[in-house]
This record gives sequence, C-alpha cells and structure tokens, in this order.
Amino acid sequence: MSKEYFRLAVRNIKKRALRSWLTILGIVVGSFLVVSLISLSEGLNKAVMAELQAVGTNIVMVLPGDGMDITAMFGGQELKNTEMEAIRRSRGVEVALEMPFTIEELRWRGRTETALIMGLDLQDGYSVLRDDMGWDVREGEFARAGRREVLAGNLVPRDVFPGLEPGDEIIVSGRRLTVSGILRSLGNREDDKSIIFDLPDYRNITGTTEGTPVAVVRIEDGYDIDLAISNIERSLEETMVRRRGDDGASFSVISSEAMIEMVENILGVIQAGIVAFASIAILVGAIGIMNTMFTAVRERTKEIGILKAVGAKKKHISSIFLVESGIIGLLGGAMGVITGLAAARFGEFILASNPNLLISIEAQAPFYLIFLTLFFSFLLGCLSGFLPAKKASQLNPVDALMYE
Amino acid sequence: MKTPQIKLENVWKVYQTGEIELEVLKGINLEIEEGSFVILLGPSGSGKSTLLNVMSCLDTPTKGHVYLDGEDVSLLSEDELATTRGRKIGFVFQQFNLLHHLSALENVALPAVFQSVSEEERIKRSSDLLDAVGLSERKDHTPAKLSGGEKQRVAIARSLINDPEIVVADEPTGEVDTKTGSKIMSIFTDLQKQGKTIIIVTHDLSLTEYADRVIKIKDGVLEDE
Repeated sequence: MSKEYFRLAVRNIKKRALRSWLTILGIVVGSFLVVSLISLSEGLNKAVMAELQAVGTNIVMVLPGDGMDITAMFGGQELKNTEMEAIRRSRGVEVALEMPFTIEELRWRGRTETALIMGLDLQDGYSVLRDDMGWDVREGEFARAGRREVLAGNLVPRDVFPGLEPGDEIIVSGRRLTVSGILRSLGNREDDKSIIFDLPDYRNITGTTEGTPVAVVRIEDGYDIDLAISNIERSLEETMVRRRGDDGASFSVISSEAMIEMVENILGVIQAGIVAFASIAILVGAIGIMNTMFTAVRERTKEIGILKAVGAKKKHISSIFLVESGIIGLLGGAMGVITGLAAARFGEFILASNPNLLISIEAQAPFYLIFLTLFFSFLLGCLSGFLPAKKASQLNPVDALMYE
Repeated sequence: MKTPQIKLENVWKVYQTGEIELEVLKGINLEIEEGSFVILLGPSGSGKSTLLNVMSCLDTPTKGHVYLDGEDVSLLSEDELATTRGRKIGFVFQQFNLLHHLSALENVALPAVFQSVSEEERIKRSSDLLDAVGLSERKDHTPAKLSGGEKQRVAIARSLINDPEIVVADEPTGEVDTKTGSKIMSIFTDLQKQGKTIIIVTHDLSLTEYADRVIKIKDGVLEDE
C-alpha cells in the first residue's frame, strides 16, 4: 500500500519538476545553513577547547575590574605592584606574572613599524610560559632573561617586518635588542603579531614601573585551586580596600576551568543563534511546501474526485499528499546535508589556507546533526502537507469530479 | 418477494445556493432488481446524473433513504460509502476520468489498491480485464496515447477490477462516435449476461434498445414507465 503512495508521489513530483525542485530548494537552504554552520562551529568549538585545554589547570588569571568586562582590559584598569605583591603573598601561589602590553614604534633595517609589544618576566615566567601556556619557538631560541633578547610572534616576519630572522636586531626607543627566536602561533592573531620583551626591558622602553591589565598565576602543585583562588581574592580585597577605599576592590580571579566554561557558554549561544536563524530559513521552506501542496490539491481536484469515486477513503487521499510533501521535505533535507557538508569542508579548506585567521578549524559533522536535520526536514514536510492533505481528503467526490 | 438490489424511498436532493433552493430530485421512489439493464433517460438538467450519484453512493440524499442490498446507505459515513463504492459499484464516466500520468494497466488496477489487493493479484486481474476488452497491446500506454473508444474501454475495465455487482455509467458513449458507441454498449450487454446490474444515464434515445428497463426523468420527477 505505502509503496503505491510512494510511487504515485514520486511520479507527481517528477511531473511538476520545476515547481518541485523550487520547493525542495526552499528546504535545502535551511538545512544547508544548519549543517554547514553547525559543523563549522562544532569545529571552532573543538579547536578553541583544545587551545584552552592546553593551558594547565593550575593556571589562574587575575583581572582588574568587574568580571570579564572586555572594556576593563582596554580601559586602563591595571593591577599595580602592591596588588601583584598581594597576589604573590597569597598562600598557594607559586608564580604571578605581569603581562602588560602597549603599542610602540619599532625599527628594523631602517624600517619603522608600530606593533604590539608585551612584557613578560622571562626569569620567573620561563617555565609557566613553556610548560603551562604551551609557548614554543619555531625558529631560533627562546629569549633569555637579562640579555636584551626578544621573541617575535609567529606572524611578525610576515606582517610586520617581512623577512625578519632570529639574530636580527631591532631598535625601540633608542635601545637595541636581539630577536632570539620566532614563536609558534599562540592561538590568536593579535598575539601572533606582537613582540615579547623581558619585563625589565619593557619597563625601560615604556618608561613605566608598574601596572598590568592581567596577571597570570601558577598555583603550587597539589594546592587546591579553589582554595588558592579564595586566598588571592581575600588578599587582594584587603590590599585594594586599604589603598582605594571600600569601593575600590573590584577584580576577578578566573581558573582555566572557569574560562573553558565561559567560552563553552559563548559558543553555545553562537550555536543557538545559528540554529534559530537556520530554523527560520527552514520554516520559510516549509511554507513553500504548504503553498505547493495547496496548489497541487487544487490542480488535482478532479483526480481526487476520481480516486474517491473508485473507493479511496479520506486516509488514502491524505496519505497520497502527505507522502508527497514528506518526500519533498526529506529530499530537501538530504540535499541540504550533502551541500552543507561540502560547504563546511570548503570553509575548512579556506580557513586552513589563510594564515591570518585565528586558528585552524576542522569541520565536525556529528551523526546527530545529520540525523536531526533529515528527521526535521521530513517532519516539517509532513506537517506542511497536513492542511493541504486534509483539505484534499475532505473534498466532496461529486463536486471534485465536476471540477475543471 | 426478493429484496430489490437498489431501493430509493422518497429521495430528495436540494442544493442551496445563497437564498435560492434548487430542488434537483423531488421525492423519487424506485426499485432496481439485480441483474437488470436499466437506462435512466432524461434531458440535461433533469436530475438524472444526480439520481445516479445518489444510487451509486457517490452522493447522499438531502432527504429520504437509499437501500443497497437491503442496507440503508444514507446512514453511512463518507468513508463507509467509499468502501461500499469500491467493493460493490463500478463507475464509467462520460469523460473517461482516467489518471493521465498512469498507464492503462495502472489505471485499471487503481481501485484495487484501495481494497488492499496484493500487487501481483492486481496486475493479473487488470491484465485479464484489458485482454477482455481487447486492449492487450495497449497496457503500457498512457491515456494520451489512446483513442476515445480505447479510453472508455480502459475505464470499463477499471470499473470491473473489484468484481462489482453493479456497474453505473454516465453518458458512456457521449464522447465517442456511433460505431465505437455500439461496441461499448455491447460490452455492457455482455456484463449483464455475466449477472451484473447495469445502470446507464443518457439523453440518447438510441441506447434504450439495449435496456430491459427504461426510466424517464424530467425536472427531478420520474415519469411513468
């Protein structure tokens, strides 16, 4: 029985090929968007997570200002030396690194460029950077403390000083420094275009003595992270209140796990947004199916009359139309999945071949994504066919037969 | 006395269009015996097609009762009527009413689909029926490739697929020439010989020669036989 409906439906779809394809296309657009964007964002998710998980779990960030307010990072709020001391004094803290940055003019072989420069205590920070943050050089050597050596970010030899090599000298504020090595990518473009100085050199160049928008803290091995965080918080609180008064104490201490959670949330919101917009696209496609099916019912009124005259019941008639709209939905979904996967692959290729981009993404198309896309396009197809099918099944056979 | 196969009791059909009531059938009383060949004769607008529709379970009366094999079909639901039509009644229409995207064989087999007959059985039956009406060579043709007479023979084969007791036809010769028309009428005569009840609606007086009973209708009322 159902085989007949299927055959009949396929024949009807083929008969009105252009209209059928246009209707199917309406569903393709939505499912294409779902599949391509979700698999890319899944890839992004995985890549970012891998990046974050490379950071040791015993690393904690201290930021001045309220929460993860981005403006606090650029708004000039800084942790001063007394506050760094307070962090270092806290129980459980092994190392606390300042990480100030600014824009400076640099000269290399007579060329002057502005670039982001960053200060890091290479003496205390060496093992944190290498072991906990995963920093490494791709060329040359890691810079040593007190030798006026700097590290160039991965993209510096390409975007800032084309041709820069380890061993080259650069001049900043009249001081000569040696580029000891080129770093591997740190995971984001801004950092990869920056030049890293030993903290004392950075202070000399910038003429500052203190202040950092962020502190990277390593907790002693075996010390409870949450306990260490509350120690830091208590210690900072006391110091800040003493210095700035009651209202002055605002900062956040974030563990790398909390950071992962935060990023997960953000990516979750992005995915929800993608799904929401793609759903609207699919819904529009579903309205297209409904329109097509209503037209089909009107065009085939006489046919419905004939079928009823020769013994078709309501359920037979409605099945014929439901199967047809279901097939349209499923076909649209399947084509959306195929083109979506292809587009995701293509996107992956484009991203991989563009070194300017943050991270390389590998498109992820989990089984559930494909299954759900197919299932929902089929379901939507059936749902949009429901009203037209009902209308068809309720036609009076005598009236339908007389319809021209 | 034997129960009549079809019995109409004070059947009225009234169409309501806005304020106007159109009485198409006005209290028809009629009995038709099994195995008879009946011609319903009347001018256009006389209500003869409506009468046929009501008798063949395609339409329901506004008032009155229709009995088929003693069962009051005016009380049946739409789906029950569909089942009754599918099992007991074969339809032949003036304009053939074949599905143009199906082959002759598929058109003939179609009513059996709704009676859940297996595909194998459907193909066998419809193939035999097409042989019987002389269309063995035309089974895979779509209606567009068939002549008017061939189309009507396909339609007759279709009406017989579920082996109905009654075959009704509305102007079956209306769209074909006289010679083809008489061929078609002889098929109906053969069917009567096989024991089926034949009811044909027409305004063509010449068809009455095939019938063993002629019922005349005018303005929704039967004239004396």
